[in-house]
Amino acid sequence: MSQPTQEEELLAQQALAEAAAIQTGSEVTSGLSQGQIVRKRFFGHTGALIGLAVFAVIFLLAFTSVGAFGIPGWWKYNHVDVSPLVNDGTPTSSLWPFAWGEHPFGQDRIGRDLFAMTMRGAQQSITVMLLIGGIAGAIGAIVGGLAGYFRGWVEATLMRLTDVIIIIPLLLLAAVVGQIANRRDEGSWLTGFAANNGVVILGIFLGFVSWVGLARLVRGEFLTLREREFVDAARISGASNARIIFKHILPNAVGVLIVNVTLTMSAAILLETALSYLGLGVKAPDTSLGLLVAQNQEAFATRPWLFWFPGLFIILICLSINFIGDGLRDAFDPRQKKFRAKSAIETAKHSSATTAPVTRTPKGS
Amino acid sequence: MRFGRTSKAVGAAAILALALSACAGNTGGNTPSTTGAAKQGGSVGVAETNGFSSFNSGTADGNSDVNGHIGYATHSGFIYIDDKLNIVRNEKFGKIEKLSDNPLTVKYTVNEGVKWSDGTPVSAADLLLTWASGSAYYDDADSKAKTGTTYFKTAADTSGLNLTDFPELGSDGRSLTLKYSKPFADWELAYSFPGNGGVDVPAHIVAQKAGLKDAQALIDLLKGIKRGDSKSPQPVNPQLKAVADFWSTGFESKTLPSDPNMYLSNGPYIIKSVVPEQSVTLVRNKDYNWGPTPKLDEIVVRTIGAAPAQVQALKNGEVDIINPQASADTVDQIKQLSGVKMLLGNQLSYDHLDLNFSGPLADKNVREAFLKTVPRKDIVDKIIKKIDPNAKPLDSELFVPAQAAYADSVKNNGSSAYQDVDIDGAKKLLNGATPEIRIMYNKDNPNRVDAYSLIRESATKAGFKIVDGGLGKADWSSHLGDGSYDATIFGWINSGVGVSGTPQIFKTGAGSNYNGFSDADADKAMDTLIVTTDKAKQDDLQKQIDADIWKSGYGVPLFQSPDVKAFSDQISGVTSMPNQTGVWWNFWDWSRS
Amino acid sequence: MLTYIVRRLVTAALILLGASFLVYLLTALSGDPLQDLRASNAPNRQALMDARINLLDLDTPAPLRYFKWLGGAAQCLVPFGNACNLGKNIAGQPITEALGFALVQTLTLVTGATVLAILIGISLGIVTALRQYSALDYGVTFMAFLFFSLPIFWVAVLLKEFGAIGFNDFLRNPEIPPAVALGIGAVLGLIGAVVVGGAVKRRLIVGGSVFAAVSLVLFYFSLTQWFRNPGLGPVIIAIMGAGIAVGITILVSGLKNRKALQSSLIVVGIGVIAYFAVQPLLNDATGLMIFLLAIATILVGVAVGYFMGGYDRGQSMRAAGLTAFLVGALLVVDRFMQAWPSYFNNSRVRGRPIATIGAGTPNIQGDFWIMSTDTLTHLVLPTIALILVSLASYTRFTRSSMLEIMNMDYIRTARAKGLSERSVIMGHAFRNALIPIATIVAFDIGALIGGAVITETVFSVRGMGFLFIDGLLHTDPNPVMGVFLCVAITAMVFNLIADLAYSALDPRVRIKA
Repeated sequence: MSQPTQEEELLAQQALAEAAAIQTGSEVTSGLSQGQIVRKRFFGHTGALIGLAVFAVIFLLAFTSVGAFGIPGWWKYNHVDVSPLVNDGTPTSSLWPFAWGEHPFGQDRIGRDLFAMTMRGAQQSITVMLLIGGIAGAIGAIVGGLAGYFRGWVEATLMRLTDVIIIIPLLLLAAVVGQIANRRDEGSWLTGFAANNGVVILGIFLGFVSWVGLARLVRGEFLTLREREFVDAARISGASNARIIFKHILPNAVGVLIVNVTLTMSAAILLETALSYLGLGVKAPDTSLGLLVAQNQEAFATRPWLFWFPGLFIILICLSINFIGDGLRDAFDPRQKKFRAKSAIETAKHSSATTAPVTRTPKGS
Repeated sequence: MRFGRTSKAVGAAAILALALSACAGNTGGNTPSTTGAAKQGGSVGVAETNGFSSFNSGTADGNSDVNGHIGYATHSGFIYIDDKLNIVRNEKFGKIEKLSDNPLTVKYTVNEGVKWSDGTPVSAADLLLTWASGSAYYDDADSKAKTGTTYFKTAADTSGLNLTDFPELGSDGRSLTLKYSKPFADWELAYSFPGNGGVDVPAHIVAQKAGLKDAQALIDLLKGIKRGDSKSPQPVNPQLKAVADFWSTGFESKTLPSDPNMYLSNGPYIIKSVVPEQSVTLVRNKDYNWGPTPKLDEIVVRTIGAAPAQVQALKNGEVDIINPQASADTVDQIKQLSGVKMLLGNQLSYDHLDLNFSGPLADKNVREAFLKTVPRKDIVDKIIKKIDPNAKPLDSELFVPAQAAYADSVKNNGSSAYQDVDIDGAKKLLNGATPEIRIMYNKDNPNRVDAYSLIRESATKAGFKIVDGGLGKADWSSHLGDGSYDATIFGWINSGVGVSGTPQIFKTGAGSNYNGFSDADADKAMDTLIVTTDKAKQDDLQKQIDADIWKSGYGVPLFQSPDVKAFSDQISGVTSMPNQTGVWWNFWDWSRS
Repeated sequence: MLTYIVRRLVTAALILLGASFLVYLLTALSGDPLQDLRASNAPNRQALMDARINLLDLDTPAPLRYFKWLGGAAQCLVPFGNACNLGKNIAGQPITEALGFALVQTLTLVTGATVLAILIGISLGIVTALRQYSALDYGVTFMAFLFFSLPIFWVAVLLKEFGAIGFNDFLRNPEIPPAVALGIGAVLGLIGAVVVGGAVKRRLIVGGSVFAAVSLVLFYFSLTQWFRNPGLGPVIIAIMGAGIAVGITILVSGLKNRKALQSSLIVVGIGVIAYFAVQPLLNDATGLMIFLLAIATILVGVAVGYFMGGYDRGQSMRAAGLTAFLVGALLVVDRFMQAWPSYFNNSRVRGRPIATIGAGTPNIQGDFWIMSTDTLTHLVLPTIALILVSLASYTRFTRSSMLEIMNMDYIRTARAKGLSERSVIMGHAFRNALIPIATIVAFDIGALIGGAVITETVFSVRGMGFLFIDGLLHTDPNPVMGVFLCVAITAMVFNLIADLAYSALDPRVRIKA
């Protein structure tokens, strides 16, 4: 009964031809470097572009409004100064007619400006995120790369180290970091630095422990790539190990790395939120988005703005980073078809054409 | 499409089934509806923050709020404390007679008919065990030299009962007389304070579990051992050790033990069931007639940690009485509930700003200038008023407004000078100086962070340079008194009743005197205070000490921690209570309409 | 193979030893266990501090204390030794006991949620991969990321407000205003239109019929107070059963396999008849009986498939077995619904069935159905919360894994040789996509044992997460170590299983013995 009918065979052939046409059609990219292809693919991804734009706006807003690195910002308040309560702390901004007002996001109970606090919080959260992403990416790439390329005892040592770190609970490490960041009596430069830059220390430490997943992925990638013909070719032509690693293998593994770094970064924002909720993250009177949400979780029914604005920023940052990561994944994965609206419709047509035999009633049965 | 034979058969079967079902319909199950709870007295659900863990709440490990509350409901004693912080005697349980003032001699007699839930009468052996566990009489441990033994691991303050000799037991077998070597101010609280070494532990069970024959054997054992001395530690007495160990740890259990002797009651309720970390169910003790009679048949204690979860559980009818951590938002949420009554009050804990008598604040003028800048009203307005609109700054270092002596003390203690912020006055006192003040506080306590922010804002105006010395919750307390800061914001707990806490904080060189306060007048008054047994005299001395403290520029109390309780309007009899017993203090008055 | 496993176990033990040493030291360093007492003004402060120092053995330096702890923990390895000693926590409770309670609580809380999240996540992942870059794909991606980004305590509070308190209030008088019914119908209709995909006409038809059906059903529910007296009855079971039979057959064999369809439909018929037969039996149900009945049901289904036969007997058996299981599940659901009114009116429940806290109504008594309903009403909210936040990773992972497979050469080959899309997806793509997902799932099981700290806090469940965080906040290494041991051992064992499964599933991966 399920013998393919002639019509189905024809349809299947047609579909294959179509698929081939789309494949070759999308290979106008020939003659471009990998970077150019990736860029082109990435900028064809609507979701990723919107994500990138949203993230850029938040980044600029956060770092210019309340100032950073000692440079004052354009907003009139900062996150610690107390000012008299205006209208019992409710937000003064309105959409129609559009106006900022004195405290656009409202004030907390003692009169600190929530806009300034949210911006400062966004700064801190973005800092933590970038630090974790950067450090974890670098260590993950090095450890995974070395293990995957050299194998043998290097791999054994590095991977056992990874195994040890991967089973230590992150919350515990964060709690210890919190301790160090809060000690100020011992007078060493580290504690002095930590006292003023708790969030930087937090980011660095979490970065030092978040690389393990990445290292495993990169190792896997290196394991397959080192067996490829082009690596053999390079080795036979006398390239040094360093050259093979950096010139030949790493560029091919960079896709996996970047994609997973972005995913680690979006998880980092949430990690910071969770830590602050449990009282192990950034400490008041400095602030972070997670701390703001955690501190005001009881206010969600009564003074919702205290909760909504920082919460909104967490979601926006997280969503935009995830979409950027999604776009990067699609851009780096050569097997996935190039995305453009037109070809998406074609793919849809193509897939509905191939699924057609299922929905149509075959005549022969 | 053609139907095969089978398809037809299936179709026919389906039609038959439909026809059958049309006749049958949904008949409903035969599940019998269970009834069991609502007897005439009714049942009430109470939320507690922590899980129940011990049937003896007097031990160092078992001394948690929830254990104390359940212990309070399942045990009786000579006294209890009411919501006005008065000591009330329960004459139906037994009587207390002060036989002499010098030497202070007190006789405790349990009434006849008072018994444990296994039928054994409450006897002198129980009283003696209570004394032994709360007096540290046998201990010869020296914590510095690491020698000797601490037998009973009690949470109670043993300094009072430690002044007594081995008690004299009455011939009726249910009385005991304590003789103090010197007068002790808090003698009424020293013995049989419920949940803190009350007559909570049945001696006959402890004796049996520790391998002794009976309660009399326990009395004989205790009689035969001399007072311990930390200077000449003796070898461990194995029998006493067994008794003490069982007392200290034997009653710890998160579940209901299979042996009912482990949770004997001599109070209004008996524990019926325990679901670990979830709930404890108390039911009426049928024999109980030696104290206030409870109206409810059953109390279900449920463990709910987070404040929003408590409010929502109340809203959903899962519990009837809650006591969540107070915050303005919790209060607003409770206000929005229908059919719920709220009680706003104060706890006995209060936050205060203390100045070190050293560093830049060694100069009294600087201290006074700093205190003049503290915006006490503003702090209360912004931190506490949203919770309790009637809140006022606390104006005494020793009394809380619930105590009768508070109003009197405030009038004369000099607190009136620090009612309002006086920046000009502070500037005048500073005379152009700009001292740098490092303020230490707990960064994880939002009230203290906010108080710090407000003080910083105000003090800066007068020329002070404020340095943020705040530390995380794991760190700040170990820095108390180490001189790494100049001023600190933190909290004390006022005991509400009794005076032994006063010298602990304010006496020169005392254990909790972190800022180096030393005042000869106050020291002398405290020496007298601790041996004064008359309440009126105690109050006068405390008032004098209060004034001495304010006069010296010690610091200022900021506010009492607010307390929020809420209960369903089907429940009546719940009242506000500042101390640790909380709503439970009059659980016998609770009833369900 | 055996040498491989032994070698892995030995390495695991060494890793565990090293990591546990680190965890112990880190916990001991992370704070000050005396902190609450230091700021106390109790007159017996020193005595209390001495007691705690004694209890936690704080006079011994942390590295030495680790070895003392290790000595106790090593006794856990002695089988039937009963000398297992993981120390005590700050409240004097033995850790072994605390772990026992916590493990039960955590497993009841997270097991159902994890299984459901995996099932839903994988299905969504497959659907979105098949419809890459459609409105459905974008919609699911957006929702998954959105739920992933939401703080769970907030989700939980909202769920309690609407799912428990709101729903219970609604149950007092379960009438749905017509506007609401139409609104819900419209939303579901819209979702249906997006899900079904394809031509505009097809979308309109599907969306419209979903809208009409949902609205009508809601009207009916409102009129008959169905939510107070729910029930399916044999008619509905028959109709739903027929739908299930068709659906399962499409997935398992395709409708062209008439024998499979017929055996599934027969099973549905048997199920409807069994509905009347098993009612008395179900009144005295126990967990074991339901389990045995489930197995019997599947066997009956398989037998029907076997006797119906056809050219592909296996397909018929599978289709009929699965259908039988699902129809059996419908019968159980119906029985739960019959128990609902008596649960609802139970004096302990007081007409507010959905709970916001805890794992059960205290002191409730009743038969199997009442007790199970009680557990379900307590689990429903935390389960939904956990599913929402953990859906994202499974969906995204399955989608990318599926996309990768769908572009493989062997899939093209399968298509080229004329296999139907159904057998390409179900037979070739889906199975291979599952292999990497197995590793992720194995990894998650370790995390599952570790508990969901925040969910536990919000729903007042004292599970592993609570034990861990409470130990950490009190700087009390023993509970932290207990939880760590459980998590680490489970994670390692499941990783090993995953690796073995991997090599069994994927012939390209060979274990180096």
